[in-house]
Amino acid sequence: MIKVNKLIKIFEGRGQIVRAVDDVSTQVAKAEVVVIIGPSGSGKSTFLRCLNGLEEFDDGQVIIDGIDIAGSKTNLNAVRREVGMVFQHFNLFPHKTVLENVTLAQRVVRKRKATEAHDKAMALLTKVGIAEKANEYPSRLSGGQQQRVAIARALAMDPKVMLFDEPTSALDPEMVGEVLDVMKQLAREGMTMAVVTHEMGFAREVAHRVLFMDAGKVLEDAPPAEFFTAPKEPRAQAFLKQVL
Amino acid sequence: MALKHSSAQWPWQGLLVLILLGLTIGLWIATKRVNYEWRWERIPQYFAYQEQDLQTAPFAGTVIKVNANGDTSQVTLQPQPGGQPAVITVETATLKVTDGAQVNADEEIGAQRGSWQVGPLTQGLWVTIWISFISGFFGLIIGLITGLCRISKNPALRGLSVLYIELIRGTPLLVQIFIFYFFIGTVLHLDRIVAGIGALALFVGAYTAEIIRAGIQSIPKGQSEAARSLGMSAAETMTHIVLPQAFKRVLPPLAGQFISLIKDSSLVSVIAITDLTKSGREIITSSFATFEIWFTVALLYLVVTSVLSQLLFWLERRFARSD
Repeated sequence: MIKVNKLIKIFEGRGQIVRAVDDVSTQVAKAEVVVIIGPSGSGKSTFLRCLNGLEEFDDGQVIIDGIDIAGSKTNLNAVRREVGMVFQHFNLFPHKTVLENVTLAQRVVRKRKATEAHDKAMALLTKVGIAEKANEYPSRLSGGQQQRVAIARALAMDPKVMLFDEPTSALDPEMVGEVLDVMKQLAREGMTMAVVTHEMGFAREVAHRVLFMDAGKVLEDAPPAEFFTAPKEPRAQAFLKQVL
Repeated sequence: MALKHSSAQWPWQGLLVLILLGLTIGLWIATKRVNYEWRWERIPQYFAYQEQDLQTAPFAGTVIKVNANGDTSQVTLQPQPGGQPAVITVETATLKVTDGAQVNADEEIGAQRGSWQVGPLTQGLWVTIWISFISGFFGLIIGLITGLCRISKNPALRGLSVLYIELIRGTPLLVQIFIFYFFIGTVLHLDRIVAGIGALALFVGAYTAEIIRAGIQSIPKGQSEAARSLGMSAAETMTHIVLPQAFKRVLPPLAGQFISLIKDSSLVSVIAITDLTKSGREIITSSFATFEIWFTVALLYLVVTSVLSQLLFWLERRFARSD
């Protein structure tokens, strides 16, 4: 479903050159859940953002469902429809109600009728357990509720892949669970997911594979059981010692 | 015990009243000193006045009867060589003839109240309002387009918009109006109204562009990223996500800009557009009520700008629903 080939992303600024993503190749199969972990600044968020072209990359290939997103004939907007993304800071549209947040892109991008978009939105809001807040503005919702709306908003486009960029990092500890529950349910339903997170419990429980990134490189790529019990790389060992 | 700073308000409110009272008395004394004779009663006629229809004798003859009937009087006129007498109705206050008087043909007998006419102050006020409105409308469009060009990645668009903004912001509006009217207006054969509106719209557009640019840039990047990640195009993201939020934020500075525009529109009087200011000047030449007219003109500007600021304040509160 996702295929990444020798991806390179370089940040330049103030005379410094940072190879944020440095020659990464990997793939995510259909219905596979891949969790990307690593220390801050290891390039995992940048890597994730390259997957739907939010971040322009310098070299390499990203192929989503057979389409090269950097291809000269590729309509990036069409690719992004198929790739849902959930952000650390939710990024709900504050001037729209919860319901409008979930219906807007359906109508603008998928050209769905108002009633169809509404029904779809209500079904998804029910699924993430927040239907009773449909007519509230996002500012009235807690962080966990906002993040669940953001997940519903992404799902409303019927994406083939979901990208999660540290979805629980900005949440109060007691709200982390409700968001992770929604993500676990998605994983069980067979959604293809790439998740950047610091939630080791989630990685261990849900992931099919864990990628460990440091300094823009993928150092480990292993099933969670293997990664958490017997990491090969010394950097990964040190990291796990700190977080577990 | 609570830590709460509180102090009595009434001494300061009293001081405020005292200061305002002092200012009023000062103004009164100042006008006494210059021996100015206030004639406020002359002012209302410049808002609206009733025309007087002069009534003249249709023929030479004798007034045989004047029938005063309250406010109006009927004058019966007997033609000199003989014939049917004519009855003319006039306002009693304007009656010029008495019973038995001899009148020539076309001699004035009195006047009748005609229809109400709009006075020059009202006309000028109206011109000011619609000139400001139209130039504000076009200024907003120019500002929106320029603001978008200003943050565009295209160097040509960006350069042009920067040049335009710097040119307008770096030169006086009065000079711009002259250039627009005498140079551009002559070359393109523009009417003075069109030239005036054009100059004002370009002027307000440059400032609006900077306001709108700042508003767009104040919207967090995550907003457009979220929209783009849903597959929206750059234009869709702008119209559905960024601009509505930016517009809400820039409403207060925009309101200030449009209030300025109403006041700045007084400068178009220099190219002989009869706006409120020019009307005031014209009235003064005929009425000599200099102080009263300028105070009235100032008050009218104040009324228009306050109404606008209330309107925008109301709009602002409506937008605040989602906060």
